[in-house]
Amino acid sequence: MNAISVDLMVNGQQYCVETAAHKTLLYLLRDDLGLTGAKDGCSEGECGACTIMLDGQPVNACLVLAGQAIGREVLTIEGLAGDDQLHPVQRHFVEAGAVQCGFCGPGLIMLSVALLECAPEPTESEIRQALGGNLCRCTGYAKIVEAVQLAAEEMNRG
Amino acid sequence: MGELRTVTQAVLRKDAWAKVTGQAKYASDVAVADMLHMKLLFAGRPHAYIRSIDTMAANNAAGVAAIFTADDVPVNRRGLITPDQQVFCDKKVRFVGDQVCAVVADTREQAAAAAELVKVVYEDQPVLDDPLKAMVEGAALVHNDKPGNLCHTVRLRRGDADAALAQADLVVEREYFTPMQEHAYLEPEAGLGYIDEQGRVAVRTSGQCTHDDLRQIAKALDIPKDAVRVIYGAIGGAFGGREDISVQIALALAAWKLRRAVKITWSREESIVGHGKRHAIIARHKWGARRDGTLLAAKVEVISDAGAYNYTSGDVLTNFLYSAIGAYEIPNVSVDGYAVHTNNVPGGAFRGFGSPQATFAAELQVEHIAEELGLDSITIRLRNCVRDGAILATQSEIPAGVSLRELIEACAREIGASRQQGNGWEMPTVEANEPHKRRGIGIAAAMKNTGFGWGFPEGSEARVALHGGAEIDWAEVHTAAPDVGQGAHSVLAQIAAEVLNIPLDRVRMVTSDTADIGDSGPASASRLTMFAGNAVKQAAEQALHQWSLEERPAVGGGRWNAPATTKPDPETGACVNSISYAYGTQAVEVEVDLETGEIEILNVVAAHDAGRAINPQQVIGQLQGGMIQAQGWALSENMVSEGGYVKTDRLSTYLIPTTLDVTPNIKCVFVHQSDPVGPFGARGVGEIGVVPLAPAIVSAVHDAVGVWFDRIPLNPERVIAGLRDACN
Repeated sequence: MNAISVDLMVNGQQYCVETAAHKTLLYLLRDDLGLTGAKDGCSEGECGACTIMLDGQPVNACLVLAGQAIGREVLTIEGLAGDDQLHPVQRHFVEAGAVQCGFCGPGLIMLSVALLECAPEPTESEIRQALGGNLCRCTGYAKIVEAVQLAAEEMNRG
Repeated sequence: MGELRTVTQAVLRKDAWAKVTGQAKYASDVAVADMLHMKLLFAGRPHAYIRSIDTMAANNAAGVAAIFTADDVPVNRRGLITPDQQVFCDKKVRFVGDQVCAVVADTREQAAAAAELVKVVYEDQPVLDDPLKAMVEGAALVHNDKPGNLCHTVRLRRGDADAALAQADLVVEREYFTPMQEHAYLEPEAGLGYIDEQGRVAVRTSGQCTHDDLRQIAKALDIPKDAVRVIYGAIGGAFGGREDISVQIALALAAWKLRRAVKITWSREESIVGHGKRHAIIARHKWGARRDGTLLAAKVEVISDAGAYNYTSGDVLTNFLYSAIGAYEIPNVSVDGYAVHTNNVPGGAFRGFGSPQATFAAELQVEHIAEELGLDSITIRLRNCVRDGAILATQSEIPAGVSLRELIEACAREIGASRQQGNGWEMPTVEANEPHKRRGIGIAAAMKNTGFGWGFPEGSEARVALHGGAEIDWAEVHTAAPDVGQGAHSVLAQIAAEVLNIPLDRVRMVTSDTADIGDSGPASASRLTMFAGNAVKQAAEQALHQWSLEERPAVGGGRWNAPATTKPDPETGACVNSISYAYGTQAVEVEVDLETGEIEILNVVAAHDAGRAINPQQVIGQLQGGMIQAQGWALSENMVSEGGYVKTDRLSTYLIPTTLDVTPNIKCVFVHQSDPVGPFGARGVGEIGVVPLAPAIVSAVHDAVGVWFDRIPLNPERVIAGLRDACN
């Protein structure tokens, strides 16, 4: 096994991880750091359940090699809000009934947060465009889109 | 009944906080120190005798702790209903996902690498990939003890269908095909096997019935049930696909033999190949009607692709005995059903359990009859739909509280239809804005049983413990009812809070651990709100009684037994098949692109009866989710299997709907007819949402382009071919 040393920042904390060179960032987070919020639904970038932020941009962690994250900043669902806190997007997912099995939730929430950072007042159609790459098999998406709309409204109220 | 406080409220789900923060532990998230990793070796070929299995090279590979084959399984049999599958095959493999051995190693990579070194010598057999060919005399046999490859047959006779057809003003005879459907729950199968603190072999996994898993593990390992424990944590969707065993027995066996923790997580490809599918169905229908639209007779032949093993094929087929004629009362009915073994991935449970396929054909029959009689289909539905007092095809009276007539009318009005003088209905005319597009509207009605029925002795266990002094400080609700994502645990907490008259946040749920509670039954057949709900209600009432006797803690509980159903008569199908039904009618407006064949859903109206909804928000979630699964089945989900090989084993080739495929315009309309059996009058709504949409879409496409399609999915290729055929 070719090992590499990965220095990276995850959720505000600096880590140096010795890991296999072929490992993806998703499995560095899940196996080496025990951060299992990002999920593996397909391992090929189709479902988006592994969506995290890398230097502020949403990425499928299953398509990023751990080595590509050296020196970079990662934000996962676990670091999105403080302890016992919810980000407005998380809270509206809960309140709007956007959570059923919830396996897609962390990815969709991270993607939605990224959307609202670059487009604070998205239209419904823009939300559907932005979330088009992430799959949910339970909800039919209506309540997910509603949750993002409500979160946007709240965040814009300040 | 006084005013309700918690039940009927859109309370927040108890599991949602943990899920949105990433703290919820799904099966694949669980890890312990020093655990080993398992890889299951699949057959990878659809039909072959095994001549030898050589594990020596794999055994010597780096990091390998053990390899388990058929020789290691004490009772090498599995099967939810029929033990017709080997845990690990050593004689014959019957589909690509049959499991041959388990390789256990220090790391995932080592287990996968070693599995490739296992040398299995196969002698390939003729592959049966089509049930019609498998039924032909002289066809190869999938199972030697199943002549004609018949897995299961059913038969129903009510009245005299042939005689009534001979006297009908109109006879419509058509054949329909509905395809396999993959569940595509977002969480692939996973689990951890280990030895617990009391020496039991434990499996922490995602399933649909802890106690069914436990029973099959104990049997295969040939150990007492109390030496086995099954625990579910957060479950990433199920929809029927987790009813049968996937990784459970293999994990238990490895942990039991090695006395160590062993973990497995399937890839998406393994998940799609490795678990059962919605049955592909060929349905031949011959219906007779009077000139005024009264349905006189229905003669139906159903052929289902059971695939390699029974799984739930027999039971799905049995459900056609009432559902083959849709939600109608028809005095003369004959149904002959054949579940046929092939070398395809087994057909199994999938949300609706045969009803979506049955309703597809029945609703299109109604459309064709309407068209040929020059009547509107809403009128025919209203004239023939089940109502209180109706006699089902099984010759039993429908349970009281039938709301279908109101639902059909409500749905029709909401989509813009209007009742005409002379009593017919007229659908609105809809026109596209672009010259190469056409719009149309379609509607379909449905019913779906709640609970298994057909004579299965059904019930559910629960226990409630009340803690406190003068007042109840908090209550513990124990249930094995799986929360597969549908929100069962929150609904059960609401029911307990209502009975106990305490705030919801004082109810603590203790769930899905066979070491803690008896069998609450599976998450299937839309049954948990009604069955587990009644069990929790009964347990809470008993606990309150103990509380009044000054017991501290006050405990109540046990098994709630459902009203009995009866087995179908083998000749006539006569029986009391179910205690309750959900009803629904859905209408859809589509736009068809004549150049590309693409179909866009513009508007959906869903009229449903949830009885007294325990949590209205979750009811809507069930309906919306079910409808979108039906949309996928009808339009984009094209499960391709060639010669027994699955060609669409990824989410990049098996296309489930995304936010961009789903219309924002879905309107839910409710009629509330309390169910006499349901707790607080609630109905089971887990499946009904998935049932009527596909035929409504096909009707809408016909309304748009004038072409009838008898099979789905209506992917662009099929639509273009249909349009071309219609021009020629």
